[in-house]
Amino acid sequence: MAMRQTPLTCSGHTRPVVDLAFSGITPYGYFLISACKDGKPMLRQGDTGDWIGTFLGHKGAVWGATLNKDATKAATAAADFTAKVWDAVSGDELMTLAHKHIVKSVDFTQDSNYLLTAGQDKLLRIYDMNKPEAEPKEISGHTSGIKKALWCSDDKQILSADDKTVRLWDHATMTEVKSLSFNMSVSSMEYIPEGEILVITYGRSIAFHSAVSLEPIKSFETPATINSASLHPEKEFLVAGGEDFKLYKYDYNSGEELESYKGHFGPIHCVRFSPDGELYASGSEDGTLRLWQTVVGKTYGLWKCVLPEEDSGELAKPKINFPETTEEELEEIASENSDSIYSSTPEVKA
Amino acid sequence: MQTPLSSPVPVLRLPRGPQGLSRGFAPDGRRAPLKPEVPETPESPAVHECQESQEQRARAVLRERYLRSLLAMVGRQVSFTLHEGVHVTAHFGATDVDVANFYVLQLQTPIGVQAEALLRCSDIIAYTFKL
Repeated sequence: MAMRQTPLTCSGHTRPVVDLAFSGITPYGYFLISACKDGKPMLRQGDTGDWIGTFLGHKGAVWGATLNKDATKAATAAADFTAKVWDAVSGDELMTLAHKHIVKSVDFTQDSNYLLTAGQDKLLRIYDMNKPEAEPKEISGHTSGIKKALWCSDDKQILSADDKTVRLWDHATMTEVKSLSFNMSVSSMEYIPEGEILVITYGRSIAFHSAVSLEPIKSFETPATINSASLHPEKEFLVAGGEDFKLYKYDYNSGEELESYKGHFGPIHCVRFSPDGELYASGSEDGTLRLWQTVVGKTYGLWKCVLPEEDSGELAKPKINFPETTEEELEEIASENSDSIYSSTPEVKA
Repeated sequence: MQTPLSSPVPVLRLPRGPQGLSRGFAPDGRRAPLKPEVPETPESPAVHECQESQEQRARAVLRERYLRSLLAMVGRQVSFTLHEGVHVTAHFGATDVDVANFYVLQLQTPIGVQAEALLRCSDIIAYTFKL
């Protein structure tokens, strides 16, 4: 019998969630950081969505957030003209990096030694994490505010996206190598190191390019304006979300739409697969983060597979079990975004 | 042939949310050993305790005053200053146990009067009322 996707809603933010990022897989699992216009980015356990802590300090909307590979450091980009680096274990602020305008994007190198920042001042900046007092190296060239900047090709190159262009830069020489132009606003960019693939969204299109040459690989059209897309680590699926509040899942090879989900109460701003590909997270204008299973019905994290009852050919009755009213669940029911009926902890059938 | 209704994937529980006003990062959390060691300044336990109980008493007094101020507000016209320069007035009804929401009546907003409303306290910058 088919199982219906049960998204897990992570509440806590009070304003739109505009960016989210996963860490790598660490001995303690993997982690998720969310950037929010309420200025309080949050760290969560990646496979359950459980809140771990809130990074307090920014004085404006946080537009970008990232974790380093082992989730020991976090970086955030905000409208208060600063990027901040945090200890992701204690939640303490480690560095405040002053900029001349709103900062939109932050990204660590694989070894966490350098931080790349970019924003409305149209400059790419590279900070040495071991010399926080030193002036950053700056790369200019963009003619409009930069939305996203990412390290690529083993941190030897940099990819950056502004409103209408995506540019590739060489780290050592700090010069532009190649650029792509779009006639529609680029809404998001994701870099997949294994296979050097770049995922770009603009208008209703999701385009895949080589991160090394920027040559196009393929592209898909979707029913709605897409704000963010993510490619599964095994490159079997991609997920996307945008202005129609829905999440779409496509087969990467055939381009066929496999699943779509309603659930968010506002446009989806960001969507990312977890590092193990078992779930994907979406952040929305409605202030929530939702976790979705890649394979619906699998036992993973908080989702628990239950075998169907032996029913001798009759129609299976829909199980309408009311959630056990624990404190957390009461809170969830009372919150603005609760919309699914969850079955209670299933009895184990021998 | 009727297809059976699909049932939602069962869930053990919902993701835990933020705890009150705490910023989290539990000091006894799983990753605690990763934290860099902070040298502790030794203080004599007696002095420490005295300071603590003084502080605790002060907190209790302030808390009681605040709760009484809320009681005094019931039924009165209150002016709220919200984010982005928005000002609204309403008759205060009640607050919830965490003071996270204010229940108000006759909320006068720039787009009309709302008979009953819940104001999110995190949206309120300041409020004033006349005793």
